[in-house]
Amino acid sequence: MAEPVAVAIVGMAAVFPGAPDLATYWSNILAGVDAITDAPASRWDPCYYDPDAATTDRGDRLYCRRGGFVQSATFDPSPHGIMPTTVPGAEPDQLLALHVATEALADAGIDKALSDRSRAGVIIGRGGYLTPGLARLDQRTRTANQLIVTLRELLPDLEDTQLEAVRSAFQSRLGPPSPESAIDLVPNLVASRVANRLDLGGPAYTVDAACASSLLAIDHAVRELTTGRCDLVLAGGVHHCHDITLWSVFNQLGALSPTQQIRPFHRDADGLLIGEGTGMVVLKRLTDATHDQIYAVIRGTGVASDGRATSLMSPRVEGQIHAIEQAWRTAGLDPAQPGALGLLEAHGTATRIGDATELDSLTRVFGAPNGAGRDIGIGSVKSMIGHTMPAAGIAGLIKAALAVHHGVLPPTLHCDDPHPALRGSRFVPISSTTPWTTHDRTPRRAAVNAFGFGGINTHAILEQPPDTTPTRRARTLGPERILLLAAPSVDALAQQLQRSDAGLLTRDDAGAPPAGGPCRLAIVAPTTRRLALARKILAQGKPWQGRDDIWFTTTPLHPTPAPGRLVFVFPGLEQDFTPQVDDIADHFGLDRPQLGDSTVLGQHGLGVFAVGQLLDAALRQLGVIPDLLAGHSIGEWNAMSAAGIYPRRAVEELVASFNPAALHVPGLLFAALGCGADQAADAINGVDGVTVSHDNCPHQSIICGERTAVAAVLTRLQARGITSQVMRFKSGFHSPMLAPYLNQILETFAGLPVRPPIRPIWSTTTVGRYPDNPDRIRELAARHLLEPVRFGPLIRRLYDTGARAFIQVGTGSLPAFVADTLAGRPHLTITANTPRRSGLDQLRRVATALWVEGWAPRFDQLPLPGRTRAAGHSESRSQPIPLELGAPLVRLGAAAPTLSTAPRAPARAARGHQHPVLDEFTAALREATTVAADVMDSWAQTTQPSVAQEASTTRTFSLANMPYLTDHCFYRQPEGWPESTDRYPVVPLTTILELMADAARALSPGRTVIGITNVHAQRWLSVAPPATVTTSTTRHPDGSITVVLEGYARGTVLLAAAPPPLVSGKPCQSTVSHSRACAVTAQALYRDRWMFHGPAFQGVSHLGPVTENGITGELTVPEAPGALLDNAGQLLGFWIMMRTTHDRLAFPAAIEKISYWGPPPAPGERVRCEVRITSVSAAEVTADLDLHRAGGQLWARIERWKDRRFNTDEVTWPVFLFPEHHRIAQPQPGGWYSVHERWPDPATRELIMRRYLNITERAEYQRRTPHDARQWLLGRIAVKDAVRQWLWDSGAGPLFPIEITVNDDASGRPHVTGPFTTPPVVSLAHTGSLAAALVRLPGSAPDVSIDIEHLAGGTAPHRTPTAHIGGVT
Amino acid sequence: MTPDRILAEVRAMLIEIIGSEYALSLEINMRTSFEADLELESIEFVRLASMLNEHFGDRVDFVDFLADKGFNEIINLTVGEVVTYIADCLTPAGALDG
Repeated sequence: MAEPVAVAIVGMAAVFPGAPDLATYWSNILAGVDAITDAPASRWDPCYYDPDAATTDRGDRLYCRRGGFVQSATFDPSPHGIMPTTVPGAEPDQLLALHVATEALADAGIDKALSDRSRAGVIIGRGGYLTPGLARLDQRTRTANQLIVTLRELLPDLEDTQLEAVRSAFQSRLGPPSPESAIDLVPNLVASRVANRLDLGGPAYTVDAACASSLLAIDHAVRELTTGRCDLVLAGGVHHCHDITLWSVFNQLGALSPTQQIRPFHRDADGLLIGEGTGMVVLKRLTDATHDQIYAVIRGTGVASDGRATSLMSPRVEGQIHAIEQAWRTAGLDPAQPGALGLLEAHGTATRIGDATELDSLTRVFGAPNGAGRDIGIGSVKSMIGHTMPAAGIAGLIKAALAVHHGVLPPTLHCDDPHPALRGSRFVPISSTTPWTTHDRTPRRAAVNAFGFGGINTHAILEQPPDTTPTRRARTLGPERILLLAAPSVDALAQQLQRSDAGLLTRDDAGAPPAGGPCRLAIVAPTTRRLALARKILAQGKPWQGRDDIWFTTTPLHPTPAPGRLVFVFPGLEQDFTPQVDDIADHFGLDRPQLGDSTVLGQHGLGVFAVGQLLDAALRQLGVIPDLLAGHSIGEWNAMSAAGIYPRRAVEELVASFNPAALHVPGLLFAALGCGADQAADAINGVDGVTVSHDNCPHQSIICGERTAVAAVLTRLQARGITSQVMRFKSGFHSPMLAPYLNQILETFAGLPVRPPIRPIWSTTTVGRYPDNPDRIRELAARHLLEPVRFGPLIRRLYDTGARAFIQVGTGSLPAFVADTLAGRPHLTITANTPRRSGLDQLRRVATALWVEGWAPRFDQLPLPGRTRAAGHSESRSQPIPLELGAPLVRLGAAAPTLSTAPRAPARAARGHQHPVLDEFTAALREATTVAADVMDSWAQTTQPSVAQEASTTRTFSLANMPYLTDHCFYRQPEGWPESTDRYPVVPLTTILELMADAARALSPGRTVIGITNVHAQRWLSVAPPATVTTSTTRHPDGSITVVLEGYARGTVLLAAAPPPLVSGKPCQSTVSHSRACAVTAQALYRDRWMFHGPAFQGVSHLGPVTENGITGELTVPEAPGALLDNAGQLLGFWIMMRTTHDRLAFPAAIEKISYWGPPPAPGERVRCEVRITSVSAAEVTADLDLHRAGGQLWARIERWKDRRFNTDEVTWPVFLFPEHHRIAQPQPGGWYSVHERWPDPATRELIMRRYLNITERAEYQRRTPHDARQWLLGRIAVKDAVRQWLWDSGAGPLFPIEITVNDDASGRPHVTGPFTTPPVVSLAHTGSLAAALVRLPGSAPDVSIDIEHLAGGTAPHRTPTAHIGGVT
Repeated sequence: MTPDRILAEVRAMLIEIIGSEYALSLEINMRTSFEADLELESIEFVRLASMLNEHFGDRVDFVDFLADKGFNEIINLTVGEVVTYIADCLTPAGALDG
């Protein structure tokens, strides 16, 4: 008897045909989506398909071309620390495995907080097939040379140079060689790469048992867990190989379905179709999974071979039975027992012998239907996605686990006439999604089969987890879908809802909300029940707001002619404060707010403030822009900050400075009353020492007063049947009783800078608009503390001014107050955050509610279902790169004609070779020669014929040959700093454009460059140390030339015989509205370091107005190549700095098109530049730019210039501008300094790294693994900043980070060198994304060191660590 | 008054508070929870209290019923608990002795 097994599935992820993620996979299964399609030409060449191939013996022709294909797979390298340039060369299944593994861990909620990585393993089922990366390597190394060998045999007269050109053209179609990817052909790397990137130290390996591989991986994982070697295992399977060789094998075996349908357990099933995919599960021992969401529990696995079967290809009943019985024995269960099993996810290959054998085995193990009846549903997901080979077991296991979890029996397709053997069994094919009921508290139980070629059989048993933590809601998978319907009438709307549930349930409209109205209906996370309710709601015809996540109206609040206004209301302090905002921060790339202890007044206030600011930013990103602002109690300060009255940091300091002890007004209490302010006023009448402090709404007011007085009022109220509750907060806010204690607060207020509001804000004190005059604002701020909060009256007043939607920017009761106040009047009120669901899910509801009422929120800014996304990474920053999942036949395309202009080949044919192949070949060659001649002729009209279509040159870029780049260094360093690499001189993208134009001109003498298109920068081209770059050029038939600076940038240069006619006058109406002059002068632009550029690049001579949609400026053309357009880019960069509050640093990344009219302006000439912003997203800003010469002629137009934004915030921004005066590390009580990572984006990390590390330290950084380097960098920053501050405190002048060098001594302790004689003693600690450093004079105090430990109960390391300083022992 | 009658009256009050249009999706029985099932806000609960007070007058001291309950107890209340309390209040004191 084996050990009892109980292993919990706590996370899952998948990529299968038609399903880029787990959520789509499951919804496809429920909806019965058939993902089988014809093979795309990008997988195998259509020439292989021959419907008659079944009757021929040719192994290279297929009678079947349908299968399951993962379409448009992409991979986003940035969150994994993988260089984008290495993606095309890598084996795609390795990247998909990494992606799916990351998603699975994220699904399990353990993406970052994995406690012991050394006890986490990775076991992946994978076959040894000719995968696409391998196939490309084979094409490059073998086929390319085979081609040459054959050509040489056929055409011995071909010159070596011609053959070499053919080889080179062939290989270049395969993309650039990537030696670093060659190692990928080693199959186990699929597991190793996951372990490497996720830093998992347990066993990581692949297993191969053909189609049983992934269940074998599960079996291994279960063993790793039950023996205790691992605490967590990622297990699953990958298969992405639609290679012609694999298809050929199944074709020759006759296993592919001639009818091109995969019909498991159908009477006429005639074969399989090939699929592909990757699936992974995260497994833990059930006993350890106390805090996890559990999909299902693995109770047993079985593995057995067929032994001596009749052939390696024919399955054997005995081997299958052996595996199945083994698993049930392990589980301690009797398979023959009625109700023992509810669902069997079968191997179900749909081959005759496969289905018959499997049914035979199942009937023998599970017995006849005698006592139990036909009580087991059977199906196979192969009917939907094809046979995913080594990934088949995991595809089935994930389906079964989701079925157990959700309590539904999912359908199997194409089994309308079941196999006759089923009749005598307990198994019934599931034809449609049905609820899964069990009797007598039996847990739902499913089993999965996976049987491999050669006779390897596996079986796994899954069970519903023990019902210890009953959850009300089924776990949602991935982003919720949104159904959005709009129509001119309710009837038309109802018609839209009359479609089948399956269609409506799998739909998601968030990507493209329908237009129209006025009748609108929306359902978040639609279910059959919600659809039924929605139909009733339409029949009822009355507006519906949010109950059961449905919204409906016939009379929107925001119709275009008379738009209702949108109000942000910021909540103050409430008893319950459990916001859900971390997911919002992560998604939008904002800092997670530090939520302190809500029982401490100042910390609670700071938390409320931070959450309000975060939600304000997120809502604005969603296109939810307030018309008015208001706040409740101290939430009004938040509104004031959002209105621009107080700088954000000032309010933070104000709130943080709340000293609860000092604010504690002795003996005062608040009590919430279940009545309006008038009744409250009546109740306090005659009682001294109590006052009404809050008029919230008709059914709530708050009184404040002395304990005894409050008690007297409450007694009086109880007699009147009015409920009340004494509140936890003890202060005298909003009452005159605070007056004696007011001075300290007012002093703080007096110190705050005040500006007139830039957005309308209303006061609960005056129930009117805020004044503009700063002095009057200060007066009002003081009154606000002493006078009652009149929230209800303000809401009524705002309603009268046209406000219709009220969004609570935080958590709390404000929507209830609004609803109570406006009862019976049409309005919308909703909270932007609630403890009840995740932050993003609630924002999705806010957007949905507003959409129904006629607003136009940006649903696309939220995570959308069905979009492959790396976990924990901002969607808007991701840069997915398409994966090539096929290795189709190489076609030389445009390069072919010129290669085949072999002059002697036709002549040779004329000499009379009589060989059919050769004849055909020479005929083709002749035809090609003619085509080539035509092309040449057409070129000859404008230019000299060019022999080289593809050319490549190599050039070294250095400061010596580009001396002007000393004025284009990213990093200012101390005067006279000797190391030029520390300054990082970089070739601007606009200078690269000049290089591209030069390269194109050299190939096309006499022609004029009229434009450049599709410009993309890949990475910085730095010239210190000098860089050697290969530039390759490709001429296209239209004469344009693509220039690639390999690894750095690419673009296509457009040429013409003559320049286009000059465009005179003002060619386009300026769309940049002129509102106000720029506050920064052109001089200050460089002097104050807005721009890092030195004199050679300082061409901006006048800064025009900066408006919300653009900027204009005057440029005085500098001499340096590319400097003029760089200056134009500076205007764009400056606009971003001026108009954004975070991520203000941006650099050019791409340009869609530049057009030139005439020669470039000469140095010294003045050019007017207009920048029109076309889009702003979290990741980039796009603009169109026009450059006009003095006479008004348009000289250049740049379309869709994209600047990529880098993470900066109020802490890192000053460090970029004035590094010698600012630091990132933050001082902590106790004198130590902490640094947490404020730059999730790897590209920004690189910028920060170069800001802080000098040449020797950078070398050390590069030596480390990415994960390690990241943490190490934080430590270096902490030490350098702590030391710099220590020096500044003792009177030192400006100090750059690189002036301090941090070394580790032999025992790993840091010591520093720098501009001092006696180095201070430093101590350093780091954990996760936090580093702490402490500095002191040697011998000045007892030996102390610093360490970080996690507070008990804290699981998120970035939130709870605290540093301890203690004596060294 | 029978508990069924009281339940019917409480149900009618809740529907008035939540909005009659939402009756479509409201299932209100003795096991229905104010917070988890009806998503009642505390203000709405206050409205219910004042409606009960108006309806039953001094015979049902709802304030007293809530007075010794903490915040969590109140939000976790079920309709049944309120109905039972009302029924108890309305039962003549003597009935218990007899």
